[in-house]
Amino acid sequence: MKELSIGWVNIKRMIRERSNIFFVFIFPIALVLLIGVQFGGGFAPAVGVHAAEDDWLSDEIVDELEASESVDVQSYEDTDALVTAVERGTAQAGVLLPPNMGSTATDGEIVEIGLISRPDGTGDQLQSVVGAAVSDVMAPVGAAQFASAETGAVFDESLGVAREVSGQAEPITVDVRSVGEAIFPDTLGQFDLGASSQLVLFVFLTALAGSSALILTRQLGISKRMLSTPTPIRTIIVGESLGRFGTAIVQGLYIMVLTLIIFQVNWGDPIGAVLILVALSAVGAGAGMLVGATFSNDQQAAGIGVMVALGLAALGGAMFPLDLFSSTMQQVAHITPHAWALDGYAELVRRGGTAVDILPELGILTAYAAVLLGLAAWRLRVAITRP
Amino acid sequence: MPSSLRIAGKDLKLRVRDRSVFVLGILAPLVLSYIFYLVFGPAATGQGLSLSYGMVDEDQSEISAAFTAVLEGAASEEVLDFTVFDSENAAVGALEDGEVDAYFVVPAGLEEAVFSNRGATIDVVGDVDSPTPTQIAASFAEQFSSGVSTSQTAIAATAALADTRVTPEFISSLSQDPAAASMSFALTDETARTKQLDAPTYFAAGMAVFFLFFTVQFGVNGLLEEERDGTLARLMAAPIPRASVISGKAILAFVLGVVSMLVLVVATTVLMEADWGTPLGVLLLVAAGVLSAVGIMGLVSSVAKTPEGAGNLGSIIAVLLGLLGGTFFPIAASGGILSWLTYLTPHAWFMRGLAELGSDASWTAALPAVGAIMAFAVVTGLISYVLLMRRLAR
Repeated sequence: MKELSIGWVNIKRMIRERSNIFFVFIFPIALVLLIGVQFGGGFAPAVGVHAAEDDWLSDEIVDELEASESVDVQSYEDTDALVTAVERGTAQAGVLLPPNMGSTATDGEIVEIGLISRPDGTGDQLQSVVGAAVSDVMAPVGAAQFASAETGAVFDESLGVAREVSGQAEPITVDVRSVGEAIFPDTLGQFDLGASSQLVLFVFLTALAGSSALILTRQLGISKRMLSTPTPIRTIIVGESLGRFGTAIVQGLYIMVLTLIIFQVNWGDPIGAVLILVALSAVGAGAGMLVGATFSNDQQAAGIGVMVALGLAALGGAMFPLDLFSSTMQQVAHITPHAWALDGYAELVRRGGTAVDILPELGILTAYAAVLLGLAAWRLRVAITRP
Repeated sequence: MPSSLRIAGKDLKLRVRDRSVFVLGILAPLVLSYIFYLVFGPAATGQGLSLSYGMVDEDQSEISAAFTAVLEGAASEEVLDFTVFDSENAAVGALEDGEVDAYFVVPAGLEEAVFSNRGATIDVVGDVDSPTPTQIAASFAEQFSSGVSTSQTAIAATAALADTRVTPEFISSLSQDPAAASMSFALTDETARTKQLDAPTYFAAGMAVFFLFFTVQFGVNGLLEEERDGTLARLMAAPIPRASVISGKAILAFVLGVVSMLVLVVATTVLMEADWGTPLGVLLLVAAGVLSAVGIMGLVSSVAKTPEGAGNLGSIIAVLLGLLGGTFFPIAASGGILSWLTYLTPHAWFMRGLAELGSDASWTAALPAVGAIMAFAVVTGLISYVLLMRRLAR
């Protein structure tokens, strides 16, 4: 039972350190919330509009945008103010409505509408919202231009007729489905995939940060004192591993339960979800132990730990969806345990898989854990027994 | 030599021998910015995203050919990969083998349905493991459908004005292509008007300024280490002004910060083709940024009791400011209160200043941002100086 005592002491040390409370318990949840807000909702993103002059067509476009619930329209007096707002992020996208829009359209010419976006991913979604609003307004205008050109009728008359006849025809609808038994989810919950990514990122980050505690244990001579008692070295190694492992599990369960309660995150089959967490925690414990046993300077280990944890998380798809990786990057991603854990969660959430369906992922994670823990045990044995 | 420089020199030797500062100050930001660039770069630039679609055209009509042409156009601009399949079975096979993310099915009779104003449905069949590409595919189809509606309206309006019925003969008698009706407007991308950082520079600058706070802490924290190790009492007993002890630590922190930042600027320019902008402007921003980091981390040291405590509190502050300042992902874009909060960090001003610099702007473009960052530096620097002087007096 000495193993458990050593492990428990490690967990207690972790919890007593106030900054750990922040990084282990507060920070991940705050980040899930922040990312949820960033990429999915909370408030409607602001779209800035600058209309060079008031005319019927630009008024209609502004009205149409204002009617859309997915954006919040702000108007700007001049182009520079709008550009600055987009640069500063107070508006996420800008729409520039040129002068004489109405007469340009009446003359049957193309109306050029300027779009300013931020090159950070949120722009694309907004672009399609703006595009849809503009094309709704412009559809009868385009139809009227066409009809006037064909028949020689005055534009205003054509526009009136076009407005009358538009909507008479049934539109082409678009159906999204998937092959086989899986149902294509309408929208995965805004927090669902964000939460599993954060879980994978933080369990690994905390486990690697735990390496400095192990170095401190060695620096302060605690390991040597344990060794001077009738405690086999194997017990010390198992105990230290249990400490890291326990910390990771506690944090992981905390994130799962809290996101389930607060954000109603769908984790899929609970047994499968917990099994992935257990396997991932073992991998994290192994990596943390290996870093802790290899380095003898806790500040260096902390730096390397943060770098490795964030780097692997980015490569493994815990910061950016794996399905958007190129095929080469997908292969690179699957060198990391993160990608396998995320694949496992995706199987549970998207396909409604059970523990049996994620056996391959669990097997690979277990193999990682076995190799890392084995290496760590060997290095730690050398490190503690070195005279 | 002034005693503050002696103290700084002594600490510099300690830090160089310890090597931790190289890990946090240079290695970590360099490796991470490169990885982030590799992973997020394609999304930020819109190139190299892997989108691969297929088409099953059961209608073989002009309308379905038009839709195919839209996708082929996108494929020729290398926005996506596009394959036309002979049958849905072939498409299903390709989907299951992961060769395509999604495929479109244009059903037989679509054109006829459109001409007779009956509704029709285009199916987008996606891979459940590729939800994002599937969504993008659906928006392609929706865009196409809205174009078709516009053409329908145009034909119907023309017929109404000419007082005839819509027949195939009538449509073929039209002098223009009805598809032209949906080209009454053009959305032009004016993003080039804004001054924003390109992807490699964004990740390089973000990681550099994020880790800067950790690097600087190595210098500032020296005071607490001297206190813990008992050497501070000996320094105080020596004929050295208290201010020299504090400025010695601040000088070292400043030197560490500036050196690591400059190494990163050069390394990311060479390795990642980051474009930091006019050297003088960059230098001013770096100097101001480092000073603000010294001030903020000095404040952390002045309230912490032990070096470990300062390290932990410092990491929390550095991570919070870094995240809020948009060094990992641009916070400003999430809108609402966050887009204002972000400017309460020197990080956001640093990134803003770099964006203002651009590649061809004069160095003066960085001055407003430099001023804002200096405000952080002066306020936090003065407070921590006063607090540390009091602490040393005890």
